[in-house]
Amino acid sequence: MRVPLGWLRDYVELPADPAAVAEMLALLGFPVAAIEMRPAITGVIAGRIAELGKHPNADRLQVGRIDVGDGAPLTIATAATNVAAGQTIAVATIGARLPKLTIERRKMRGLESEGMMISADELALPEEWFEDGIMQFDESLQPGTDVVEYFRLSEAVLDVEITSNRVDAMSLIGLARELAAYQNVPLRTPDLSHPGGGAGGPKAEVTIESPDCRRFVAQIFTRVESGPSPAWMRIRLALAGQRPINRLVDISNYVMLETAQPLHFYDAGKIPNKHLIVRDAREGERFVALDSSEHELNPQALVIASETSAECLAGLMGARNSEVTDQTTEIILESANFSGPRIRRTAGQLGFRTEASSRHEKSLAPALTAVGAARAAQLLAQAGATPHEPVAFGEPLSAAAPIEFKISDVKRLLGYELPLPEISERLDGLGFKVEPLTGGVLRVVPPAWRTDITCSADVIEEIARMAGYDRISSEIPAVRAHDIASGDYRRERKAAVTLAALGYREIVTYSLHGAQVYDKIRRAGLDPPARPIEVQNPLSEEQRYLRHSLGPAMVTHLANANQPARAFEIGHIFYNEDRQPLETSMAFFAFSAEPRDEPEWHDSNYLRAKGDCEAFLREMTGESRFETAADEREGFHPGKTGVVLMGGREIAVVGQVDPRLQRTFESRLPIYACRIILSTLPPYDVPQFKPPSKLPSTYRDLALVCDADLPAQRLENALRSAAGAWCTAVIAFDEYRGSQVPPGKKSLAIRLTLQKPDATITDAEADAVVEKAVSALHAEFGVTLRV
Amino acid sequence: MNLADNLEDLRARFEDALKNSAGASSLDAVRVAFLGRSGEVTAVRRSIGKLPPAERPAAGQRINEAVEQMERALNEAQANAQALEVGASLSQRIDVTFPSIKPQQGSIHPMKRVMHDVCAYFERHGFAVVVGPEIEPDYYNFDALNIPPDHPAREGFDSFFLTPNLLLRPHTSPMQIRTMQQHRPPVAVVVPGTCYRRDAVDARHLFQFNQCEGLLIDEGVHMGHLKGMLTGMCREIFGSEQQVRFRPSYFPFTEPSAEVDTTCPLCRGAGGECRMCGGSGWIELGGAGMVHPNVLRNVEYDPDVYSGWAFGFGVERMALVRYDVDDIRRFFENDHAFLEQLA
Ligand SMILES: [Zn+2]
Repeated sequence: MRVPLGWLRDYVELPADPAAVAEMLALLGFPVAAIEMRPAITGVIAGRIAELGKHPNADRLQVGRIDVGDGAPLTIATAATNVAAGQTIAVATIGARLPKLTIERRKMRGLESEGMMISADELALPEEWFEDGIMQFDESLQPGTDVVEYFRLSEAVLDVEITSNRVDAMSLIGLARELAAYQNVPLRTPDLSHPGGGAGGPKAEVTIESPDCRRFVAQIFTRVESGPSPAWMRIRLALAGQRPINRLVDISNYVMLETAQPLHFYDAGKIPNKHLIVRDAREGERFVALDSSEHELNPQALVIASETSAECLAGLMGARNSEVTDQTTEIILESANFSGPRIRRTAGQLGFRTEASSRHEKSLAPALTAVGAARAAQLLAQAGATPHEPVAFGEPLSAAAPIEFKISDVKRLLGYELPLPEISERLDGLGFKVEPLTGGVLRVVPPAWRTDITCSADVIEEIARMAGYDRISSEIPAVRAHDIASGDYRRERKAAVTLAALGYREIVTYSLHGAQVYDKIRRAGLDPPARPIEVQNPLSEEQRYLRHSLGPAMVTHLANANQPARAFEIGHIFYNEDRQPLETSMAFFAFSAEPRDEPEWHDSNYLRAKGDCEAFLREMTGESRFETAADEREGFHPGKTGVVLMGGREIAVVGQVDPRLQRTFESRLPIYACRIILSTLPPYDVPQFKPPSKLPSTYRDLALVCDADLPAQRLENALRSAAGAWCTAVIAFDEYRGSQVPPGKKSLAIRLTLQKPDATITDAEADAVVEKAVSALHAEFGVTLRV
Repeated sequence: MNLADNLEDLRARFEDALKNSAGASSLDAVRVAFLGRSGEVTAVRRSIGKLPPAERPAAGQRINEAVEQMERALNEAQANAQALEVGASLSQRIDVTFPSIKPQQGSIHPMKRVMHDVCAYFERHGFAVVVGPEIEPDYYNFDALNIPPDHPAREGFDSFFLTPNLLLRPHTSPMQIRTMQQHRPPVAVVVPGTCYRRDAVDARHLFQFNQCEGLLIDEGVHMGHLKGMLTGMCREIFGSEQQVRFRPSYFPFTEPSAEVDTTCPLCRGAGGECRMCGGSGWIELGGAGMVHPNVLRNVEYDPDVYSGWAFGFGVERMALVRYDVDDIRRFFENDHAFLEQLA
């Protein structure tokens, strides 16, 4: 909300420095987003045009003799056309400083001009909101008055943020009350006594058919004159960001800015029988708002209607039909209270918002209807209208429910003690009534305008705000033991630290993506997820779908690097199961590498990825040996993918990213990746130490010729069990295919390590084991020793 | 050949071999060839068996002497060779300033590092770290947190909806409810995690971000404890001189509520022309406050017995300040230079 400081000072004594006021507001819970400083303008005074005539040497110029109070009248030429004798206008005298120029003595077409008649623009006011030409003041403004000082035009405007619970403070009086209470100085409210006319005059009749209108104050004013508002009001409205329209509209806006209560004026001549009905809109009811926008309503909208048509969208905007115009002589004032949610829903549905609805939708206090009506009546009476008796419809105003709590609760929540007199004084400044009861209990009645205070914690916050949040001390709590576990988080953190230690850089990518990911998968000839999880209200098409894997973002990342790189990500992935969106935590690591010159049956990059996978799994599970099985998985190369099993359960997939995806994701380099669903990992199993034997071991390197498609792991396992209890390790370390072995065969070099638990193994014993084992392998797989 | 000739011949060949060997490793070969288990000396020793028994002791004696001599010579040669090798090594001079051979170095993402540091700080003080789903029903996101339907504060959480009542969580606070539903006080947790809001993206805003939530509930927990813990956290993350300031604010799930500011680490609170804090000397971290009695009631805690606080801070925002990063989008761009500099 834009708050002109010059206006705010009407109600409360404030420091001169706008930054000091802003700081105070911030510490009260109303942060100031911006302090708009006004340009320094000097030497502008009010002048009355005593005479006006044609310039002797120029048709387009006029020359006025301007009464400026003390001293001789000034002779000033102007090109403006909106001037006439008798007007009170803005005059920049010689030496005056304006935002864009300094006034000097000068000749206009041979005639000395002793100053300049100026427009709103030269006073740094939005010129399109003011009269075209020279700025006009009211007759009552004495010639010679310093315009900048009088209208407080040099005062800054604060852009104040008001939290949604404090609709009462979406007003100058509301903010002034806070500042007054905080500084412990008086609040100067304008006269809010109601200048209602006596009984017997015309009265409006209001029928409330909806419980969503809680209160409706209606009052008729006759002998209403339209025309522009006085300059002070137009200037204040403009500085507050409201365009001045005419006397009536301006008064309703002014009162809303001042008191927070929105008002509406109906042209009483357009309302048959001066009868207004608050009702649900009818299905398909047409409504032309005063901004000429057209709406088709439904019963969710609340309207204020005459006996013939809807005249106002409650809390939002009036209808063009009964809008006040220059011809209006009689009005009905509406100061009403509506259900906040109802107004918000309607505004949301119709897709527009007004200053009024932004207040109504936060649930104003019903008591404010009387305040707003009274203030408007004061201003209308000042403007010459005749007020008649106000009538209130709807629920009677009820006092707020008292809140009782122990004084000791103040310390219990805030951590420090406040003496009762200080508590009372602080609350009193905000309009609360405080009554100490026996047993250290306080009874507090919130003021009528505060709808946000409903429990003791609310009151304690008020006490804390007024005492200043800086009185809260800093203490470290002694946290008592509890049984809440950190397992899932620690697993994720350990996974990250482990992958970083293995040389992968962590990345963080968006969980939402657009359809182009699926396009790339489709162009690779593969199937994207059948039922992706879709956001119903994305901000852009790039954010429509929830990722089903960390793979696409990873491949994109590595493709962008365009040189060998290693990265990992840990994050949630999303999938549908039985039409229920589910999610789980995935770890995904990958590297891109230059292709190597290797035979087509061998890929050492795959073996590197598998090695990293095993190292990772070892750290996460405590296991040291993992079994891999060749398999196919979406997104991975059909012939270069292994699934790692533990206890028969798949815990990781490792392999080359499908080269078709590499192509559609535009990665120059092949990518090797591993994905792990973290929840499938068994809990860490602490390894147990077995003292290594001190007896020497021996080994035999065997070159075994077998079928080319026999997995090394199977041969290793078979060899291990065939070798018996003395076998301590079996590992394949080389593979050969080619002219040295028959077609369809390969030669695997395997080292078999043997050790006896109780004696040194002899060569003969070792040879016997090998012989037995090889013949077992021969029997099972047709394996022969290569010689 | 008799034994004496044999030994003489052996010694001659041994000396030749010694002379021709270069370095410690070839001396080892000489030792194996002559003195090893199947070396030449062994062969000579075997020949003793062919001698008459009376001559055998003397022959053995002579062989032993020869072996001793050879061993002495070998040891001496070995010592010389090692001295030479060490000498050669010691005389080496390299350019120690030449660029290093880089290891394959991994790293933790800077945002995650901040997250881990925050969690570690609270873990040290007895808090558990819990994580939860990113898809949450509106009950956990709003209703249970004292934000009923039609509450104006719901607009502040402009959320992505998957179904009419299932959404991507706009804050980590649902885990407050889930944790309190599962445990009785004391409850002390931090909740790191990803959140989503329909914010237009710019240098300060993202539609996806990470939050760290904190919650402490027990008897006698007050706002001073909140300030104390957050001051400690800020000192851990931003530096040992950090101060923390509370400003009143409004959140439906806390009362009293506060905006939490910490001293701007760049200007150290001086303000002026500081580009990081815009001259205020303070950096906004996020919201906090005493858990609203209605929230406690929603999980069947008695607000007259238990009190507690909660806070929720944006992790990218903290990382932005900690690492002096100019644009929050960088935390999701994963630019190599960015990740490497902040590794
Ligand atoms: Zn700063």
